[in-house]
Amino acid sequence: MTSGGLATFVVRRLAAAMALVAVVSVGALLLVRLAPGDATTDLVLAHVDEATIARTRARLGLDRPFLVELGDWLAGVAHLDLGESSAFGRPVADLVGERVLKTAELASLALVLAVALGLPLGVLTGSRPGGLFASCVAPISIGILSCPPIVGAFGLMLLALGTGWLSIAPGDPVVPALALALPLAATIERVQSQATAEVLAAPGAGAAAARGLPPWRLLWVHAARQAVRPLLGVAGVIVGTLFSGSLAVEWVTSWPGLGRLLYDGIVGRDPFLVAGCALSGAVLIAAANLAGDLARGLADPRVRVS
Amino acid sequence: MPIKRLPVIATVVAVAAAIFFVWRQAGPGPHGRASAPASGGELVATMRTEPKSFDRLVSSRSAEELLSRLTQAPLVRVNRLTGQVEPWLASSWTTSADGLTWTFKLREGVTFSDGAPFTAADVVFTFDALYDPKVGSEEASSLRIHDQPISVRAVDDHTVVLGFPSAFGPGISLLDSLPMLPRHKLQDALAAGRFADAWSVTTPPAEIVGLGPFALSEYRPGERLVLVRNPHYWRRDADGRALPYLDRLDLDIVPEQDAELLRLQSGQADLTTSEVRPEDLAVLKPLADAGRVQLVTAGVSTSPDCLWFNLTPGAAVAKTRPWLQAVELRRAISLAVDRDAIVNTVFLGAAEPVWSPVTPSHGEWYLPDQPHPARDLAEARRLLASIGLTDRHGDGLLEDAADRPARFSLLTQKGHSLRERTAAMLQEQLKQIGLTVDVVAVDPQTIIARYTDRSYDAIYFVAPSDSIDPARNLDFWMSRGAFHYWNASQASPATAWEATMDDLMRRQSTSLDPAERRRLFAEVQRTLSTELPVICFAAPRITIAMSARVRGATPSVLPPLVLWNADTLSVAPGRGASRP
Repeated sequence: MTSGGLATFVVRRLAAAMALVAVVSVGALLLVRLAPGDATTDLVLAHVDEATIARTRARLGLDRPFLVELGDWLAGVAHLDLGESSAFGRPVADLVGERVLKTAELASLALVLAVALGLPLGVLTGSRPGGLFASCVAPISIGILSCPPIVGAFGLMLLALGTGWLSIAPGDPVVPALALALPLAATIERVQSQATAEVLAAPGAGAAAARGLPPWRLLWVHAARQAVRPLLGVAGVIVGTLFSGSLAVEWVTSWPGLGRLLYDGIVGRDPFLVAGCALSGAVLIAAANLAGDLARGLADPRVRVS
Repeated sequence: MPIKRLPVIATVVAVAAAIFFVWRQAGPGPHGRASAPASGGELVATMRTEPKSFDRLVSSRSAEELLSRLTQAPLVRVNRLTGQVEPWLASSWTTSADGLTWTFKLREGVTFSDGAPFTAADVVFTFDALYDPKVGSEEASSLRIHDQPISVRAVDDHTVVLGFPSAFGPGISLLDSLPMLPRHKLQDALAAGRFADAWSVTTPPAEIVGLGPFALSEYRPGERLVLVRNPHYWRRDADGRALPYLDRLDLDIVPEQDAELLRLQSGQADLTTSEVRPEDLAVLKPLADAGRVQLVTAGVSTSPDCLWFNLTPGAAVAKTRPWLQAVELRRAISLAVDRDAIVNTVFLGAAEPVWSPVTPSHGEWYLPDQPHPARDLAEARRLLASIGLTDRHGDGLLEDAADRPARFSLLTQKGHSLRERTAAMLQEQLKQIGLTVDVVAVDPQTIIARYTDRSYDAIYFVAPSDSIDPARNLDFWMSRGAFHYWNASQASPATAWEATMDDLMRRQSTSLDPAERRRLFAEVQRTLSTELPVICFAAPRITIAMSARVRGATPSVLPPLVLWNADTLSVAPGRGASRP
């Protein structure tokens, strides 16, 4: 990859990422606007009088036409002002900033756990695809993969209740991180297993073995390193999975992250909060996709910018 | 072992067993019957939502109300068990014969949590902030009497006079929801027009001072609020011991109800701020039998779910189906529904069948002799036939005179298992009299939006009621009210019976004679049971679950169920809910 080609690639991907971010956040703003009710609807349930509700709508800018609202919001975004949350009475940028850090903490922990579990398991099952170990691990992986993170979170909470091994207090990351990590570990195990099997079946592996390379080195250094490349290709998908999974997991396990904030925003018909969460989520996913592509390019000389 | 020692050993073992048995029996059981409450300790409660402000005047949702009751105090308090007004920051009061002038003597020596004295100036300041248009308080409307504000005047440091704009039947009970605020902390913000932001959730907790049993110590957004004992709190128990008993009260924010229950089961929470769902009782009863949790039934809910039709005159939904607004339809539905089946199937027995939104927990306002007509499908079919709904095709389903099916949609709350299941039962039972019901489950925002737009056939839902006195709920009873479900915010009553109800409620809410107020409200209820603008089927029994270590709880059916008397709650010594 030439430096000029790389720069063009990065610029093109950044432009695509910005378009994605714009579409997702404007779409989120529009969807909240189209949904029945608005941010003052719960005041009706609290028996607040109509005049106060009208004043609140005006203060929150909910009485503006959508295009005016959108224009004002975009102008604010240009100055890193994402508007004010009606549900929390605070600037969205502050809320999102706090919660992104919490989600990042959870996602990092989940990623470390998933890689620590999935990668070695994938190498082991890929080294003997038809073996007893692979025959045991593969169905478990497929089972976990087909289980949504919210079900996993409930299962882990029940395990915590039954055994007392895990804390489920708000702010304790173990249960939410495991709930996110297990499906991801299963994904990594499956991808790594297949890639390892392919690398070992390739002529290069046989040649290396013929040169007298010890089997453990062939498996854990040569094959594993080559097989990790497909994983980098799905880095964006992994981050997307973490983000979408966190929405449900954070809600069930009371983890104060971006997913739960987005949920609160949707339930409370909080337009700027939903748009702010969607914007930051889209930025995260776009950045992860770009980083994954670049890492794959650096790790695999065969990858070229086209 | 020598044989002769056996009787001695047996005696020692028997005495030890007897001592252990007596100790177990005498140990503190539910509600702490055995010994005086222990001072100190920590209690963990869960709450479903978090506050958007630390000032109840600014935001009056359930989280703010709870926090206000824990960290602030009103002039007088409504006892949640007796319904009576109790002296609180005001030690006594007198009233003029016309009920318009109320003179309060404030307790002496009371200080805020920062040590500053509480005086009449704080009372005047609180009312100034409440009615200041720049503040836009969400509490202001509930503290107006017939849309007019209450006047306030300080006579001296410990005497204030409140002037009611007109006679008000519930009297000073409405002051229960108004916390007294510290003038020394907030007067600059009010003068500068910044009051609404002065106690935001990002304000350092040390700035939030109050007259309640606890003071805010820490707020971790999305996780918990930590409250610690207010060392300046003014109340003492009967033995002269300083209240509150607890050193610390954590409010964990757990938005999901199943997760809340799991925390209680695992011992990581001591109580939940919402009641137990009937389906959870089966899980909790074995734990209660094992002595790990306490289950306490506070009574029947004062807010039963109900079904109502859109009775707006000329509503689009009624143009082609005028029978939707006929009283015969509502009477037929009330007669056709098997309330006992709903109680037993949906609520698993943890409810009472009801025929009115006024339930036994409304105390003196409840009419036990109201008619409770038995289920009568034949009479229901006859009533439907009288409005032209008959089975024209012999398929068991009714059609109107123009051969259009007798069919309507019923909005209810998605995700609320009791409402969804009841709506499904209504659908099934009304099919037996030939009515086709399309149940549409949506989120509460959608229900309220459709209600506000009046674009619905029928709704099965609830509105929270935080007071049992009907004059505190005029929004429901009077035709101009925003919560007059079936036809809200009327300029003038659309029907003669609503005009009658308006007149009765106007007299009921301004009368100062308790017996006359009860008589007038009985008339209102009789009109309601004749016209059936709302149809109720079952009112759940409110059951509270707490860990076995909680003492002194006196749960009420009104929110906040347990923490309304948090200053007299205590915990048994020993291991508490674990903190991370």
